[in-house]
Amino acid sequence: MRDVAVIGIGMHDWGKFPDKTFVDMSAVAIKEALADASLEWKDIQELVAGIWVWGSISGLNPGASITAMMGETGIPTTNIFNMCATATNVFRAAYNIVASGSKDIVLAIAADKSPKGFFTTVGVPDPKDPDYLRWKMIGLTNPGYWAIQLRKRMEEYGTTERHLAKAKVAASKFGALNPRALYRKVYTEEEVLASDMVCDPLRLFEICATRDGAAAAILCSADIAKKYNAKPVTVAGVGEGSSVYGDPTARLGLICGPVEATAPLISESYVSAQMAYKSAGLGPEDIDFVELPDNSSWHYLQYPESLGFWGPGETERMLDDQQTGLGGKLPINTSGGIASFGEAVGAQGLLQIHEVVTQLRGQAGDRQVQGAKVGMTQTYGQLGNSATTILKI
Amino acid sequence: MEKQRPAEEGLFTWPSDEPQLMGGRCKSCNTYFFPKYYVRHHPDCQDHSAVEEVLLSRQGKLDSYTIQHFPAPPPFTNPEPFAPAPIGWVSLPEGISIPGRLTGCELEEIEMHMDVELVVEEEGKDQEGNGLLIWKWRKK
Repeated sequence: MRDVAVIGIGMHDWGKFPDKTFVDMSAVAIKEALADASLEWKDIQELVAGIWVWGSISGLNPGASITAMMGETGIPTTNIFNMCATATNVFRAAYNIVASGSKDIVLAIAADKSPKGFFTTVGVPDPKDPDYLRWKMIGLTNPGYWAIQLRKRMEEYGTTERHLAKAKVAASKFGALNPRALYRKVYTEEEVLASDMVCDPLRLFEICATRDGAAAAILCSADIAKKYNAKPVTVAGVGEGSSVYGDPTARLGLICGPVEATAPLISESYVSAQMAYKSAGLGPEDIDFVELPDNSSWHYLQYPESLGFWGPGETERMLDDQQTGLGGKLPINTSGGIASFGEAVGAQGLLQIHEVVTQLRGQAGDRQVQGAKVGMTQTYGQLGNSATTILKI
Repeated sequence: MEKQRPAEEGLFTWPSDEPQLMGGRCKSCNTYFFPKYYVRHHPDCQDHSAVEEVLLSRQGKLDSYTIQHFPAPPPFTNPEPFAPAPIGWVSLPEGISIPGRLTGCELEEIEMHMDVELVVEEEGKDQEGNGLLIWKWRKK
């Protein structure tokens, strides 16, 4: 396997764009990435695209409509859906194509347009499918799952409602410094605690919104990267994971889980991160900053521990000591996180990569992590599915 | 007389004074699962044919819970008028935990690890006006 570099990144703003198709949004992200890499569309040798599940057949084969828009060159196209880990898996697939020597310049693209309100079941209702049943028989929403998991954590570690609010406050401080973030307001703990209770103990401002978005990355063989970008970012490691038997996390979309914990919480994320660390020859202590999936305050509290940055129950103290902000022990979500963008499920992973590349190039302006050399991205995933990247410069 | 029917068949015994959830179990690796269609084996399991349907215990302990302060979207059928809905995961002696709406107590009376038992109650109606039945966990 040869070394792979990121030579171009691009994105469409996050928000609500009823007049734009996912192809329109993809094209904006792709063109920005091409310009960033000083490339033409015809230079792209292969395309990997994230599937858009809310969009009928064209959403299931985005490679076709994207190449129609950009110009049909007959390049290989692969379409991937791995729930919230989709975009990172798109990136991983593109990475593998270049690393294997199969192609030199590959585009990773993912766009998503979220339906209104809370997500509900996808596809044809199937009374044998647990995800359909959690809606039909229980009406258990995604934030409901997270709230249930969070209450266990609060009982075990003494997490207070202030800690839940601090996660949002910390995220918003970075969002305010990111000109591309959708939500730029800095919140106070009082404002967060005054927001409506949605799924007790999670309040409205402690749960992410859902939005439309698109992001792209162009990967190429590291030995030719400097021809296209003066600051190529190296892909140090990638990981992907699925659930491990005995993981007691209430897994989003399922209605049964083991009681006894014989595997780590959010095991799919744990194993994905371990795989990335191993492939990079690095450990948590080498990571300068991380983009993690802050779908809710529970995620913000749980993820750093599952990624090995500190021990169980310690994120609360890190928040108390502001160690996840600029200048802290581990800046978390310098982009502002999902809290500052809203979640576009299929595209979020490439938005995280966009931020990490920007930081590593030293182009993050007021939110720049000083001396940033190694960054990590980590996604969550429904049904137990996850992906990780470690990038370095 | 108002008709009632399970919101979906094949998930709990009905009609019954002591309804039970219909799960599955692999006798070889002793893994229980619910619903019976979402089969799970231990990675070391040597005999996938050892799967059988089982009726799950009705008594359990509340693992954790939330209270949803808004009506759930379709396909769930919310009762009218809407009231904040407690939903919990319940641990059973079989070693699995299963979610369901909570019932039989006020919100303030819900306690972590409290004893509960399985019941079947109506929650909403279908388009013909039949009551839709779902399982719930009732505080003992």
